[in-house]
Amino acid sequence: MKASLKKAVRPTLRSVLGRAHLSVALLAVGLAGISLTLLGVLALRVYANHNLHLIARSINYTVEAAVVFDDSAAANEALELIAKTEEVADAKVFNNDGEQLAHWQRNDEGVIGHLEAQVATALLDEPINLPIMHHQQKVGHIELIGQGRSLLLFLLSGLGGILFCTILSAFAALYLSRRLLGDIVRPLRGLASVAHAARRERSFDRRVPEAPIAELNELGNDFNALLDELEVWHSHLQNENATLAHQASHDSLTGLPNRAFFEGRLSRSLRNAARQQDHLALLFLDSDHFKQINDSLGHAVGDEVLINVADRVRAQLREHDLVARLGGDEFAVLLTPLHSREDAQRIAEKIIASMQLPMLLEGGDSLTTSLSVGIAYYPDDGSDPASLLNAADAAMYQAKRMRRGQWQAAQTERSAADFRNRS
Amino acid sequence: MTGARERLTGCALSLLLLALSLMAGPAQADGSATSTQAQQRARAVTQVVLGILSYARWPTEPVPLRLCLIGPTEYADDLIKGNVQNSGQPLQVRRLLADDRQVAAACDAIYIGKLDDAERDRLFQAVSGHPVLSISEADDPCTVGSLFCLRVSDQQVAFEVNLDSVARSGVRIHPSVLQLSRRRGALP
Repeated sequence: MKASLKKAVRPTLRSVLGRAHLSVALLAVGLAGISLTLLGVLALRVYANHNLHLIARSINYTVEAAVVFDDSAAANEALELIAKTEEVADAKVFNNDGEQLAHWQRNDEGVIGHLEAQVATALLDEPINLPIMHHQQKVGHIELIGQGRSLLLFLLSGLGGILFCTILSAFAALYLSRRLLGDIVRPLRGLASVAHAARRERSFDRRVPEAPIAELNELGNDFNALLDELEVWHSHLQNENATLAHQASHDSLTGLPNRAFFEGRLSRSLRNAARQQDHLALLFLDSDHFKQINDSLGHAVGDEVLINVADRVRAQLREHDLVARLGGDEFAVLLTPLHSREDAQRIAEKIIASMQLPMLLEGGDSLTTSLSVGIAYYPDDGSDPASLLNAADAAMYQAKRMRRGQWQAAQTERSAADFRNRS
Repeated sequence: MTGARERLTGCALSLLLLALSLMAGPAQADGSATSTQAQQRARAVTQVVLGILSYARWPTEPVPLRLCLIGPTEYADDLIKGNVQNSGQPLQVRRLLADDRQVAAACDAIYIGKLDDAERDRLFQAVSGHPVLSISEADDPCTVGSLFCLRVSDQQVAFEVNLDSVARSGVRIHPSVLQLSRRRGALP
């Protein structure tokens, strides 16, 4: 459970970069500093030992006469003269009988003196024991313990240097990683926002800006190319969709909406009308003698006639009215909104009148045709699409039976009752 | 077996001696103390004299080095037994009379005991102009004559140097000895 939780927390690019920079910097400084300090300590140790021997020898020369004459005071004086100014912690002069003739000790109390003593015992050859010679005869010996001050100073300054460089390089690493992060993250962020916009809002017009890093720039360019293709493909698909949608709902010959589109629109308009207590009218149009025209003059002429009829009917309608080709030579018109029955009758008359002008055919001939119109009203002749269509259809046939090229209102029971009431 | 017995008798003898000395106590104490002190002084004087000799350079290195004791000396008993210098070179020690004419030719160094002023003057006249290192044992103001003058006490044997005499004698003395002497002279 815990492991999976841990795995879920992914490190950010910033922390990864920062950690990498920091560890490289610390490693470099640490290795260089430690190795330099070690080498320095080794070299210094050799010199310090050599120096201690030199000091011992010069003490030797200075106290030689005092030892020969067994003069403790002179030996002490000579010893102090040299030991005081050199890095000596403890010096003793013995005569040949092993008697201590002179002793000098640096009184270095406190932490630093203690540390110096530690360093000296750890790193120096101690104690140095050197015989005092007089005419090639040993007359005594000295014992010398070094102080280790310069070694301690070197160690401390080395440690200080390492510490300082470590802090400095840590800051430098953080600064560099922050800069690098900016260079990497900015383009990535741009890429992400463009990808997000493309996915969520389908906005394919945005492009990734140029990046300072070659790989990221290439990625951005490829991404942009992909977006170009996606944009083309998307617009193509949209056009295709629109075409297909239009084809599915429209008649290819006349360009008018088809039956399915009309029925959908009709039921929607009926729902609106029912909600708002509105009236509307449905006109059912049928071309007279169309079958004969088709048979005698050919389908091409029939098509021409249909196109002409459609154009003329459309020209008679108001802005929100709809005309559709239901099939063959049958058309339907939806008049909405409708203020009075008279408006519908007037439009029907205008449609019928528009047919009286002869049509000029492509062959040079002219032709006159006529339409029979049945009118059904909502809500008087029906409240649903089917009953309204039926009523209009029936009214159209009635008009055809009585005299072609006329209009006829539906004669349902309700409208008849209405009619009686009004008269 | 016999060794053990001898050691046993030696032990008993020393115990007896100890008891006797304890009983003798106050009467004997002074005499024995002075005798051990005298021995110590003699040893210290010997060391100082040999030290001075080891720091001295003659125009021609004398082999062996001839040290002559002149006049009645107090601390030269050890010195006369020795026959080797600090450096390992042979040392020849002998007693001479103060009026000996051969002093300058027969001695490289002279250790002077108690002499009266006339004897002293004659001695230094005899050695003047010869590379002879002279050390006075007895109280000597060290203003004229002797190169080195010992100041013998129970604590230590100090010495003074007469730099004029050193310069005149032709014997070279190592500077560290001169330094040591000056410091000692400064001491009360």
